[in-house]
Amino acid sequence: MRKKILFVTIMLLAAVLLSGCVGSTTWPGLSAANEVAYLANTSAVHAIDVTSGKELWSFVGEKSGGLAIFGGSPKLFVTTPVVTTDGLVIIVSSGNDHAMFAVDPNDIADPQKPTPSIAWKFTDAKGHWIAAPLVVGDRLFAPNSDGKIYVLDLQDGKSVKQAIKVIEPFSESKEQAGRLWAQPVTDGTYIFVTSLDHSVFAIDLETYKIVWHEDLGGAVPGSMVLGSDGMLYVGSLAKQLEKFDPATGKHEPVLDTNGWIWGTPIAAGDNIYFSDVDGYFYSYNTKTSSLNWEPVQPDSAITASPLVYNDGALLVTESGNVYFVDGTGDVKLWHGAPEKGKAYTTPVSAGGYVLVSYIEADYYLVALDDEGDQKWTFPAGK
Amino acid sequence: MKNTNNKTPAPQTPAQPAQLPQGFSTETLKTVAVIAVLVLAFTNWDAVVAIMVNVMIFIYGIVGHNFGLAIILFTILIRVVTWPLNAQQMKGAAAMQEMQNDKEWQAIQKKYAKDKEKLAQEQMRVYREKGINPFGSCLPTLIQFPILFALIPSITYAIGSTPLSLLKLSRSLYAFQDAASLIPLNSKFLWMDLGLPERTLLLGISIPVLALIVGLTTFVQTKLTMPPAADPNDQAAATSKMMGIYMPVMLFFFSLNYASGLAVYFITSNLLAIAQYAMMGKVNWRNLLPGGQKK
Repeated sequence: MRKKILFVTIMLLAAVLLSGCVGSTTWPGLSAANEVAYLANTSAVHAIDVTSGKELWSFVGEKSGGLAIFGGSPKLFVTTPVVTTDGLVIIVSSGNDHAMFAVDPNDIADPQKPTPSIAWKFTDAKGHWIAAPLVVGDRLFAPNSDGKIYVLDLQDGKSVKQAIKVIEPFSESKEQAGRLWAQPVTDGTYIFVTSLDHSVFAIDLETYKIVWHEDLGGAVPGSMVLGSDGMLYVGSLAKQLEKFDPATGKHEPVLDTNGWIWGTPIAAGDNIYFSDVDGYFYSYNTKTSSLNWEPVQPDSAITASPLVYNDGALLVTESGNVYFVDGTGDVKLWHGAPEKGKAYTTPVSAGGYVLVSYIEADYYLVALDDEGDQKWTFPAGK
Repeated sequence: MKNTNNKTPAPQTPAQPAQLPQGFSTETLKTVAVIAVLVLAFTNWDAVVAIMVNVMIFIYGIVGHNFGLAIILFTILIRVVTWPLNAQQMKGAAAMQEMQNDKEWQAIQKKYAKDKEKLAQEQMRVYREKGINPFGSCLPTLIQFPILFALIPSITYAIGSTPLSLLKLSRSLYAFQDAASLIPLNSKFLWMDLGLPERTLLLGISIPVLALIVGLTTFVQTKLTMPPAADPNDQAAATSKMMGIYMPVMLFFFSLNYASGLAVYFITSNLLAIAQYAMMGKVNWRNLLPGGQKK
């Protein structure tokens, strides 16, 4: 009997080891609105009061019908939550349930265990949700890894056009249906969508037709940004920053980079700030069509977008350090990394603090004041 | 690397040659080599994973960007590379089994049933006389652990179904791989997306077909390759019986929740193991029949 128990224990340990080999899933999603931070941190989405660091509520999805181990609907919350003008929070599960929820933080049933009520749920997507959806008026444009963009009515989560499937993205590539991982952007006429199948495309907001699509020669995990010159800028795994005419899709490479460009470039005045996974940070001037200064390399890989801050930018590197780069390209360590942990998520600014999230650390989120000093952590006391 | 370790002298071997069974020094060196390989693998984990990822992606490029086919061919390659180890494992298991059926050994077991120490001494003596290395069947298995453990992240990274796995893939690729054009890998294979757990809709019910096939092939493989036991109540037979139950269940649940690319690996590996055993004449078809093991 003892041997049997030992054997079962060994087998269970082997199962855990095998599962462990798959490693951590991915990095958390972070957003903030009205002094509330929303952190999608694998098992739950937490709403945190930015001023105090206290949790206001958390959301873990609906109770599963069966055990997760039976493959029912394991949930995974890593996509950046989106807050609508009506105060709903759009949360997507990147797990196998492929579920999207609109939750209402104003309707919390149990104050002892606060969790918002579900206003509606959408489960028709066939792939994982990685991209955050884009709110345009009363519609939600939600790109999915199944290569489709679902256009939903924000009121009830129903498909706006022709039941479920709304837009077929560019999928001329025989290999990929086009995994869509980045939140689209809009100029009010079109929405611009990037895809891992190397393509970038514009869709008319009214007709839902693809207006143009272009191949960048490399996967595009980040989104596009509209520069002060009216052009769209985007980076790709082809190690190039590209400039697009939003109306026609005519594009040209403007800069070769050292490594893959992962995060979405950020516009600040005439400058476009962006980084690459080799750890370089670039400041590109759209007026002069050149770099403001030689790229700087603080320490390790950068997947997060920079955060525009005090005439410069804050950079979060994989090592967990936060750097401030001023307008001249001078780099200063602004906040040291925690003892252990890595950072890949784009930081956000809210309530006078800069919020940075980590994986594999003692805490998921830290609030930093304007000196880069820690004000609180979530969970607290770490 | 392995050759270097093979040259490592075992200090006690030349000192007491008369008391050691024939071939003991070679076996000791093999054990040392296996341990060295395991230590090397676990201390250079990222490098092991990177090698596997690159080989798999290289195959993917050759076979027309079909990742399912790449996994199958890669599994075959792994089987070919580990063929001698598997063969040695089978040989070791067969020798141990033979010993269990040996009349002299059975008599010794009966005689010293209450004297464990004496029984252990006698066991070592019989091992020496018959030229059996008690670790002969488990060392080859041990050396395959890093391969299995590295395969899982390799497949997961290669498919790149999450941002972190895609980032890890980028770090694993060697310079000669044309990463920009290869990524993302085509994860479609037959009816499956290899980056997702597989479910097939049959009559409106979502069925994990691939996970069931993993469970079934693991069950069949374990049963077929299980040597017939002289005494079904002995410890080895009981362990084999438990393996026959727990392994399929464990791999079924594993396949249920992880990328179906891993399930493709498990199925291919099981079928190849059956084929290898069959080629070596070690398949025990009777085990598939109810009560077949007792015969």
